[in-house]
Amino acid sequence: MDFDDIKQILEMMREHELAEFELERDNVKLRLKKHSSGHWVSTVPPQGPPHPGVAIPAPPTAAGAAGNPVLTAAEDELELAMVKSPIVGTFYRASEPAAKPYAEVGDLVKKGQVMCIIEAMKLMNEINAEIDGEVIKVYVENGQPVQYGERLFAIKPVNV
Amino acid sequence: MFSHQQFLWYSTVPSTNDLAGALAERGAREGCAVIAEAQSAGRGRHGRVWSSPPGAGLYISTILRPPTHALSLLTIAAGVAVADAIQRATGLDCQLKWPNDVYAGERKLAGLLAEAGSMEEGDDADDSPRLRYVVLGIGINVMPAAHPADVAARATSIEGELGRGIDRGLLLTELLVSLSARYEELRGGHPQDVLSAWRARSASTLGRAVEWDAGGPRRGVADGIGDDGALLIRTEEGLERVISGEIRWT
Repeated sequence: MDFDDIKQILEMMREHELAEFELERDNVKLRLKKHSSGHWVSTVPPQGPPHPGVAIPAPPTAAGAAGNPVLTAAEDELELAMVKSPIVGTFYRASEPAAKPYAEVGDLVKKGQVMCIIEAMKLMNEINAEIDGEVIKVYVENGQPVQYGERLFAIKPVNV
Repeated sequence: MFSHQQFLWYSTVPSTNDLAGALAERGAREGCAVIAEAQSAGRGRHGRVWSSPPGAGLYISTILRPPTHALSLLTIAAGVAVADAIQRATGLDCQLKWPNDVYAGERKLAGLLAEAGSMEEGDDADDSPRLRYVVLGIGINVMPAAHPADVAARATSIEGELGRGIDRGLLLTELLVSLSARYEELRGGHPQDVLSAWRARSASTLGRAVEWDAGGPRRGVADGIGDDGALLIRTEEGLERVISGEIRWT
C-alpha cells in the first residue's frame, strides 16, 4: 500500500461521505476516521499488528510537516487512548446518582479500573480502562444514551 | 442444571451480588450461587437499597458466563424464570414489568440486579469482545416484613398474597431449575419460548403509560416487547423501541 492508495481511499470516503474506514490487508491495518470538524486522522488500534500505523497524507489545506504527515490538530488526540462504548446503552458515571463519579478529568486511572457503567436491558456493564493514564476528557454526560463505538473518555497514557 | 453447581449459603451477607462478583473475579465457575436469608447492604439498581431484613426473603446471586448472543435477552429470561418458579412452587399468579420486575397485582414481589464484569478480548472468529461474567442477583419477598415505609407501599410478598406459609426450599429448587433451563434456551440460540413465556406474563407492562428520556422527555403506552427484548412503546409518532435508560411508569 502506498500514498496513492490511501489518497484514493480518502477520495472514496469523501465521495460517499463515510465517517470511518478500516482495512486489513497484507499485514497492514489501516483505520481512517473523519472528525466532526471535518479533518482526517489515522488511529492505530491498541491491539493491532506491530506495524507503526500507516502515515496519512494531510488534506491540501492542512499544514502537515514532512515526516509528520498527521494533522497538527489531531496530534494530541493520537497520543490519547479512547475508551469507547462496546454496546448501545445508557451511560452512567457513578454507581448511584449521589455517588462520586468513577473517573473524572485529571484522575490517574489504572488499567482495569472501572470507568463507568453502560446499562442495556437493565444489565449493568462495567467499562474498564485499558491502560494506565490520566483522564483528559469525558465525552458523554451522565444518564445519556451512547452508541456502539462512541467515545466515552480520553486517557493520556503514563509510563509508570 | 449447571454441572458441578456450587452453592454458598449464608444467614446474612452484606450483598449477595458483591460476594458473587468477588468470586467471579477469582474464577468461580458458571452456576456458582450465593444464597442468603438476609442482606445487611442489599442493593437494587442505581445504588437503591434493596430492603432485606432477616427472614423476609430469599436472596440469591448466580454467576453466569454467557456467550454474546445470549446477552440481550438475559434479563428477560431471568424475569421469566423467577415468575415461573414462584408460580410453580407456590401457585401464586405473577406478572412481569419490563424487563424483569415480578409483580403481584400492583405491587412488586421480586426484583433483579444484573451486573456484568468488564469485557475481555474475544476468542471468537469475529474477535468481538465478550463479557467475562454476569452476576444475576434475585431478591424475592417471601413474607411480610418490616420494610421501610416507602418500600412497604410498593412491595408485597408471596406469603402476604397467599395468606399462608410456603416451602422456601421448594421455591429455591424451582428457581434454580427454571433459571438453568431458560439460560440454556438462550445459550442454545432458542429464545422463542422465553419470549412467548414473557409475553404471557406481560399484564404488568401492557397498556401502562410510560415516560422516558430520549434527548427530551417522551411519553407513550407500553405495547409489549420486540424479539430482541426491547420495550415497545406506542407514541403519537409511532412505535418506539427502548432498550436502556430510566423508564418511569405513570
